[in-house]
Amino acid sequence: MKLTRRNFLAWAGLSAIGAVACDAFGDDLKTQSPVNQPEDLVKGRDNWYATLCRHCPSSEGVLVRVMEGRAKKVQGNPKYPINLGKQSARCDAGLQALYHPDRLAGPLLRINGTLQPVGWNIALDKLKEQLETRGEDLVLVTEPLSGPLGTIAGRFAQAFGGSHITFEALSNATYQAAVKNVFDQELLPDLDIGNANFLLSFGADFLSTWISPTRWSIGFGDLRDAEVGSGRGTFVQIDPRFSMTAANADKWLPIKPGMEGHLALSLAHVIVQEKLQADDVDLQALTGGQEAGFLADFSPESIGPKLGWPEAMLGGRSAAESIRELARDFASHRPSLAIGGDSAGAQKNGLFNLEAIYALNYLVGSVGATGGLRFNPKSPLPEWPQPPVVAALAQWQQVVSALNEGKTKLLLVHQADPVYGLPQAVGLEDAIKRTDVFTVSFSPFLDETSALADLILPDRIYLEDWGADTPNPGPGFQVVGIQQPVVNPLSSLDPRSFGDILLSTAQELREDARLPWNNLLEALEESSNALFALDRGSIDAGSEKEFWTKLLRQGGWWDEKTTGPAVKPTEGLYSQIAKGASEPAALGSSEFYLIPFAHNTLLDGRNTHLPWAQSAPDPITTVTWQTWVEVNARRASDMGWREGDVIRIEANGSFIQALLYPNPALPPDVVAVPMGQGRRNGPGYAVGGEERESSNILSILDAALVNETGALAWAGNRVRLAPTGESLRVSKFEGEYAAREIGNQIINNPGEEIIKTVAPGGH
Amino acid sequence: MVTNRIDHTWGMVVDLDRCTGCQACVVACQAENNLAINEKSAFLEKRALEWIRIERYWEGEYPNVKARFIPIMCQHCSNAPCEPVCPVFATYRNDGGLNVQVYNRCIGARYCINNCPYQVRFFNFWHPTWPASFENYLNPDVTVRTRGITEKCTFCVQRLRRGELEVERRAGGRLNDQNMAERNYMPACVQACPTNALTFGDHLDPDTKIRPYFDDVHAHDIHHEQERTTRSYLLLEELATAPNVIYLKKVEPYPIGENEHNG
Repeated sequence: MKLTRRNFLAWAGLSAIGAVACDAFGDDLKTQSPVNQPEDLVKGRDNWYATLCRHCPSSEGVLVRVMEGRAKKVQGNPKYPINLGKQSARCDAGLQALYHPDRLAGPLLRINGTLQPVGWNIALDKLKEQLETRGEDLVLVTEPLSGPLGTIAGRFAQAFGGSHITFEALSNATYQAAVKNVFDQELLPDLDIGNANFLLSFGADFLSTWISPTRWSIGFGDLRDAEVGSGRGTFVQIDPRFSMTAANADKWLPIKPGMEGHLALSLAHVIVQEKLQADDVDLQALTGGQEAGFLADFSPESIGPKLGWPEAMLGGRSAAESIRELARDFASHRPSLAIGGDSAGAQKNGLFNLEAIYALNYLVGSVGATGGLRFNPKSPLPEWPQPPVVAALAQWQQVVSALNEGKTKLLLVHQADPVYGLPQAVGLEDAIKRTDVFTVSFSPFLDETSALADLILPDRIYLEDWGADTPNPGPGFQVVGIQQPVVNPLSSLDPRSFGDILLSTAQELREDARLPWNNLLEALEESSNALFALDRGSIDAGSEKEFWTKLLRQGGWWDEKTTGPAVKPTEGLYSQIAKGASEPAALGSSEFYLIPFAHNTLLDGRNTHLPWAQSAPDPITTVTWQTWVEVNARRASDMGWREGDVIRIEANGSFIQALLYPNPALPPDVVAVPMGQGRRNGPGYAVGGEERESSNILSILDAALVNETGALAWAGNRVRLAPTGESLRVSKFEGEYAAREIGNQIINNPGEEIIKTVAPGGH
Repeated sequence: MVTNRIDHTWGMVVDLDRCTGCQACVVACQAENNLAINEKSAFLEKRALEWIRIERYWEGEYPNVKARFIPIMCQHCSNAPCEPVCPVFATYRNDGGLNVQVYNRCIGARYCINNCPYQVRFFNFWHPTWPASFENYLNPDVTVRTRGITEKCTFCVQRLRRGELEVERRAGGRLNDQNMAERNYMPACVQACPTNALTFGDHLDPDTKIRPYFDDVHAHDIHHEQERTTRSYLLLEELATAPNVIYLKKVEPYPIGENEHNG
């Protein structure tokens, strides 16, 4: 029948009658009725695959929703013991890496000075040629790896006579060293925040970025739950910066940067002097038998005045009295837990600070106890490196020397951007630019390091590749997380797995490399069989194949019956710690303490190419897409500086620029600058900001080392600020919603009207 | 005729004592609901789209200072000021107690935006665009809104509908706290929230976790000076919009100005 206008109208009329008639079916049709939204018109089925997220140092177990071959949503895996079904904003944002428009489609080789696309055969031949001709003393750089990839990378480097070194801009080296010195443990402890009754945190931004923030946040929710443990716990944060974590504390106490350890020892002094310690504490061992004059140099009277505590905060009392009060609160509201990290450990005396802080847990009986520190058993797979090797800055300085001396001629870099993350003073960029150094990058995106590379072999994104992780810290029992490819790369892209390249290259060139697997999957299956042979844990299976399938479905294997070792203090622990005490130098006039910090979503800059991470407002300032410098609001106003003023931040002979954000909470002698922006090479969203509003604070840091650990003392810098006279608008979320009218009145104090508060126990 | 039977009354409880302002809910919502990317210009123009947002309020100044966070999303009012002003009935209360927006009816009058005291309705001033490759991750269950359309939080109605389809129509069961959490039917923000500050459920169901708070709010009317037995309060309660989102007051052991007692 020919469709004429008349016909069409007739059919349209009939179908309208049909629609009315069909209402007889009632509920079945209601979702298709025009007054309801067509949410379930999509008839396809989705699959949810368990894997690991790789957008934070703490690999979280995630479920990925896949529909028609495309990943749609990443969210926490409820079974995975680390994050128990929760996820951070970074996990969600990670999806954008998979479908990023500027992923490198295939290998790039530097020809006549510019990177040009080449086929995989040419690229891999080039890699092999370089390994054969200049492989001796090569340096293979990766992120800290604790799965089979760590083993593979280590053996690969060894086979060519080189070394494997890890990179993380804010390394845990000092924290690991403190845990080793205080508890004699290689693995980091789990923190039972949820069951604590008093949490004392020094500098650790644990709700935002420190170590395993999703896990700590779950615990924090429980800490605030009156039904968990011994009621709603109290949380005190001691921090030179007003961080997101400090904002969530019941009480925030600012402190002069670098004095954290002195305060911790002073608290210990009060606890012992006033006999507030837990009953079963071995004081003899801790004090080395010198209970009477225990830590006499750290009495509240001598330490109090050095902490920089303002009188307005003390409410008419002395700092010494406040220390005593804090010590009593901490010791009497057990279980109490003392933790420290971030800026407290990133001073020259950072190791001393962290040792003094963590030793407090012995005095209140929180070592290996509920509401305290839980230690972790060793990995069930001894072949995998655990904990992952974490390189200190000192090792990087050696790498740069080796490059400059012509000893190391081949640099291989995977999932790390040391040119961005190391202070310029280390000189890595110049060393890489030397003509006798050949650099191979395995990055799927351009970044500061890969932009200098001679060859780029783009890796698969974690959602397209195999992998595994033994989380450090674990949850107090053995856990192995499994990462599986949930989608294939888009047809326009041709990435290859870094692990597979290492394996195939080693097999061809070095048969004796103890790398018998043809690909990463084989290595994983072998580990799965080893787990199956243990015959315990979360997976009940009758065969290796069944075990493997269940392993992938669950997203990992764990055995809740395993426990960590019992930990005892070494004899005279406190006198050992006190020996390392050193006070930070005084601040010069017109100088500020600089506290850089990992950005809530961009972290150390690894997520700058993800628009969801860029557009998530910073919790405190609500700034997005830009670099800002936080200055005490009153001090800024006294100097005539206003929000958005372009400020020159000068340190160690170099400078960056950032936009001023007046922060009413920051101490007047501290400035805080987030890491993350200031990329000059990279994919869309990561680059494009002007230098005035997008800069890299890490670049101007002094290459100073933490005593003994050799890690970068990134929080030990002092800076001068100078306004440039220019001003830009701050792209912030704050102020998008103005105070509103209610009835005939404008709310005068929206904070109090909107956010109501109540005293503990009230309603 | 389409029945207007109330099957569920969905509601949320937000515990301000647990919320840390971490933005996990904000990004989870954007990923689930195909929100346009908020470029820098969106923030400079004060037109960023966030169906759930974290507001941060300062109280005091250094050294006696607090910053407090509150997540704000559509309150799904039972007496919604946005509904009666819509000239084309694009927004109405559905049989799950949700305040919904029918995109293909909306003509962009923006009266609803103007009349919403919570400022949780958003207008698409531009057609949302993504790089072509990002379209791969768009959620097929959620309509992409075009220019000229008002949009807002739906309590992830697509997940609730899937739940009703899978659990109630196919299996003959009933959606409850447990199967919603296990099978990913919770709104994306609730699922993500690491501190469990957000709790979601059907407050017609006597066994749900949120029920005691709704009972408390329904039983004790602050307008008649009746004291509540929980920390519950409603946002801008004096407007009597009857929200289906209840906030629990933040517990404050050390209020500003009490240093003398607490140090």
